[in-house]
Amino acid sequence: MTPLIYMQDICRYYVVGDSIVKALDGVSMKVYKKEFVAIMGPSGSGKSTMMNLIGCLDTPTSGKILIDGDDTQGMDETRLAYIRNRRIGFVFQQFNLLGKISALENVITPMLYTGGISSSERRERAEHALERVGLKERMKHLPNELSGGQKQRVAIARALVTRPSIILADEPTGALDTKTSDQIMELFNELNEEGNTIAIVTHNEEIGNSCRRQIRIRDGKLEEPDVL
Amino acid sequence: MFFENVKLALKAMKGNKMRTILSLLGIIIGVASVITILNLGNSATGSITSSISSSGYNILYLSPGSGSRNTDTFNELFGQTLTENFEEIDTVMPTVSSSTRIRQGNEITSCQIMGVETDYGNNMDCELEYGSWFDYTDNIFKRQVVVLGSEIAESLFPACDAVGNYVSIFRNQSKRYLVVGVLAEKDSTLSTSYNTSIFIPYNTFAQRFQNVSSVGTYVITVAEGYDPVKVTDKLTEYLDNLVGSDNYSLMSSASLAEMASSITGTLSSFLAAIGGISLLVGGIGIMNIMLVSVAERTKEIGIRKALGAPPRIIKGQFLTEAITLTLTGGILGIGLGIGISRIVTGMAGWTFSVSLSACILSVAFSMAIGVFFGLYPAAKAAKMDPIESLNYE
Repeated sequence: MTPLIYMQDICRYYVVGDSIVKALDGVSMKVYKKEFVAIMGPSGSGKSTMMNLIGCLDTPTSGKILIDGDDTQGMDETRLAYIRNRRIGFVFQQFNLLGKISALENVITPMLYTGGISSSERRERAEHALERVGLKERMKHLPNELSGGQKQRVAIARALVTRPSIILADEPTGALDTKTSDQIMELFNELNEEGNTIAIVTHNEEIGNSCRRQIRIRDGKLEEPDVL
Repeated sequence: MFFENVKLALKAMKGNKMRTILSLLGIIIGVASVITILNLGNSATGSITSSISSSGYNILYLSPGSGSRNTDTFNELFGQTLTENFEEIDTVMPTVSSSTRIRQGNEITSCQIMGVETDYGNNMDCELEYGSWFDYTDNIFKRQVVVLGSEIAESLFPACDAVGNYVSIFRNQSKRYLVVGVLAEKDSTLSTSYNTSIFIPYNTFAQRFQNVSSVGTYVITVAEGYDPVKVTDKLTEYLDNLVGSDNYSLMSSASLAEMASSITGTLSSFLAAIGGISLLVGGIGIMNIMLVSVAERTKEIGIRKALGAPPRIIKGQFLTEAITLTLTGGILGIGLGIGISRIVTGMAGWTFSVSLSACILSVAFSMAIGVFFGLYPAAKAAKMDPIESLNYE
């Protein structure tokens, strides 16, 4: 079975002034379909860099990344945007909803960039996704009229709606209280059981341990190298 | 996608009403001034042309200069020479004129006096209020008869009919003339203001009034079916060869109308250029506000990029916003411009006319400004790094 995410000897160096910061230094790993993994590490470990690379927001200095079989090496911004749109569903710590449009319109937004989806289908799919996260009755509300947990549910609906290969969540509970966090993690669990592949990036042990597999990263390297 | 972008743009504009209006002010004023200027130019040209052509579009005025050669050429028979040589010329009437004073009882007024031939009144479409025009015998026998302009008649004979009464016309000494007709009110032409003129037979004028050595002005009517402007050109060529260009002047309503419209045309393109400069300044204002908007919405751009918006679509979004912005400005400007020109033409008493081409031009130009000045901010937005813009607070 081909892995959904295949990383081989990934290095990502940043030039800061005269010195080179090695954010990632030879990381290799795989994530298979229907997995529910946590990418864990303390701050500065390189987990955000890893998430950016998996999410095709960034490209590695060296190494190879395949997303659902597509080699992202040498892709231009337009191709990367295409991969992000079709293959990746992002969930962020700060929700990152567009503030001036309703929950429903937020969920519709990624489908605008897909092309070939009629406006009625976009709406239908968005309503369906919001229904799935339990927010159908609040879909006309603006983000600032929603609680933190509700905002994150909208963000999850937005990630789901394009039927991505993988949902990539960066500290999805970082801005939520414990009770809401549990509810969100429960939602992720259910979504995984429904067949969605989910990767959660977190520094929180409890959150990480509630996922099925943990990939631990420290100082730009995996603690236990994944067997390729 | 385009429709969504327009919706987004309108939403952004609504969200920042004050800022939108202020940043559009340059475009609005620019477009409004261009529209006003072009509309006024149009209306003014229309009014000038129509007032000139109402005074006889097919009539040319040939005035000899005072050179000695002219006495030989421009005699009373010269008219005949012209009609024989040019099939385009219908009639040629020699006229002479001077200024004088006229008295009746205690009333004295100054006026222009013209010596004309009998058929002048008929050829120039002069309608008579009272009486009749003098006839051929009056001219041949140099009788002292006069036709009065309407204002002159009004001031000399406020109470009674002028026809049949005598008036005194001064020239060194006063002579008594019998009033035979009074003109109806008539608009002035290039050479004659009919209402304040009096008309006597040409020969009477020549003998009694002034020692006429040459004709004052030949009034030439162009035959039907010929373009007065072309006839003027042809006649000019002929006269240049005959007496030289310095020794006569040839005027026509047609060529004057052409000149007037070319002057107002030049003037309005000059003023439109100034309007264009204010549009340019307005465009820079748009660019400024678009740059602010792009910077302000860095986070939004990051989110959209994360959701899979390719650079082309981000660029399109901001470009559409800039165009929507300038187009709104353009339309508001057209409305304002039409309003202003409507008021001004109303005050000036011109006929109001909207220059459609100016409206289309302004819309197109304001859109072009949107594209031109929106391109750089839009390209800047499209080129933003997704991670940096996502993390932007």
